[in-house]
Amino acid sequence: MWSDTTMHVQSSTRTPAVLDWLEVLSGIGLVLFIMGHSLFVASVIFGASTFNGMAGFFENTGLAQVGGPIIGLVFLLHFVLAARKIPFRAAQQSVIWKHARMMHHEDTWLWLIQAVTGMLILLMGSIHMWVLLNDLPITAEKSVALLYAGTWLWFYLFFLLFVAMHVAIGVYRAGVKWGYIRRENRARMKKYLYIFAGVLVAIDLVSLIRFYFLSV
Amino acid sequence: MDRMLTINIFRYNPQDPDSKPHMESFYIDETESMTLFIALNRIREEQDPSLQFDFCCRAGICGQCGMVINGRPNLACKTKTKDLPSQITLLPLPFFKLIGDLSVDTGTWFREMNTHIESWIHTSKEFDPEAEEERMDNELAEQIYELDRCVECGCCLAACGTARMREDFLGAVALNRIARFILDPRDEREEKDYFEIIGNDQGIFGCMGLLGCEDVCPKNLPLQDQLGFLRRKMGFFALKDLKRGKKKTC
Ligand code: SF4
Ligand code: SF4
Ligand code: FES
Repeated sequence: MWSDTTMHVQSSTRTPAVLDWLEVLSGIGLVLFIMGHSLFVASVIFGASTFNGMAGFFENTGLAQVGGPIIGLVFLLHFVLAARKIPFRAAQQSVIWKHARMMHHEDTWLWLIQAVTGMLILLMGSIHMWVLLNDLPITAEKSVALLYAGTWLWFYLFFLLFVAMHVAIGVYRAGVKWGYIRRENRARMKKYLYIFAGVLVAIDLVSLIRFYFLSV
Repeated sequence: MDRMLTINIFRYNPQDPDSKPHMESFYIDETESMTLFIALNRIREEQDPSLQFDFCCRAGICGQCGMVINGRPNLACKTKTKDLPSQITLLPLPFFKLIGDLSVDTGTWFREMNTHIESWIHTSKEFDPEAEEERMDNELAEQIYELDRCVECGCCLAACGTARMREDFLGAVALNRIARFILDPRDEREEKDYFEIIGNDQGIFGCMGLLGCEDVCPKNLPLQDQLGFLRRKMGFFALKDLKRGKKKTC
């Protein structure tokens, strides 16, 4: 049976496509943000005053106060969109878990890692933003003090690892899904992305170590 | 070549109320150029005539002998025992209805899928049995043939995390078939017709890009490339359509 589609029906059938677009676009935006963020934090390598200068710039221009909450919203949006595919029901969870163990298949594991790190990042990212944005201005001195308090050093070590993994796997999988990573370049691209993740971790680690030994 | 193989096989007969799912081990001496097809037939002939499994062509053409071999879905007739360790575990393909032991019903699912995606050439031209067949560019014919090599074994579905979690997912096999009709100039369906079938979470937007399908397909079909092509095509179609819809309303 054929009938002319009405506007209402049309818009509902386009929804999955639009949501898929939003998922990948918000993801790309967040990847760019994370890279910029890592570079900003890395300014501490040149000393506390460089870092404080950068932080001051972001705050004086209002970028931190306005940008922070916006990034938070994009994070949330990205999570909600991606969560459409995450198995929340116990039956599905047990199926995918058994499936991954049965298959010994790298890409299936990568997806599981991405789903798990995604949820952890949402939690840890919220804590991180809450702590920092509630105590503006951001200064190297306060960051150092934080790292020495309680288990915050461990928190940040794991946080940066999870973020790097999630970002690299996410870029890889977006490339695969949208057909930019193809059969012929898949192995090469995967290698590049592991390198990308490594570089991201390295930059963050160097910053963290620099903070830790910063004399302020 | 004097290996003794241990083949652990899933046993269960849903027809028999006394039957319980369990694993059973069979021991068999490996012979030259042995495939799992040969091994299973020898077990059935020499050790247990009640063992159920499907075969037809023993040459990777009928797609009947798909099963999970040491964790990976594959065709038993194409799998040489020399490429496997001496401990071999065989399970029926998940996702499909179990008939018994290693035998599953792939036919019902494939029939439904083919009906759902209308897996035939849609044309308004009257068929003339007398007329010479229309000519097609050789390169294009080869491209279509490449996607038509699918033997409907179901391995890609059994390997797909999405299909395992969501029963209504069409899977790489159906998406690949749609890609084949998109290529075919004789099919008069337009982008919007294809979008109706696969432009949703049951179709291309449900695919999570886990590439289980790509990595197990025994016929080595270019599934990954088709999935990427379709997502872009359907994604951009939705955007264009959205713009058109906006224009119409204002
Ligand atoms: S696409 Fe490959 S794995 Fe899937 S049914 Fe066809 S031949 Fe089998
Ligand atoms: S790439 Fe898509 S179709 Fe293939 S196994 Fe993954 S989710 Fe399934
Ligand atoms: S028996 Fe036909 S494909 Fe294996």
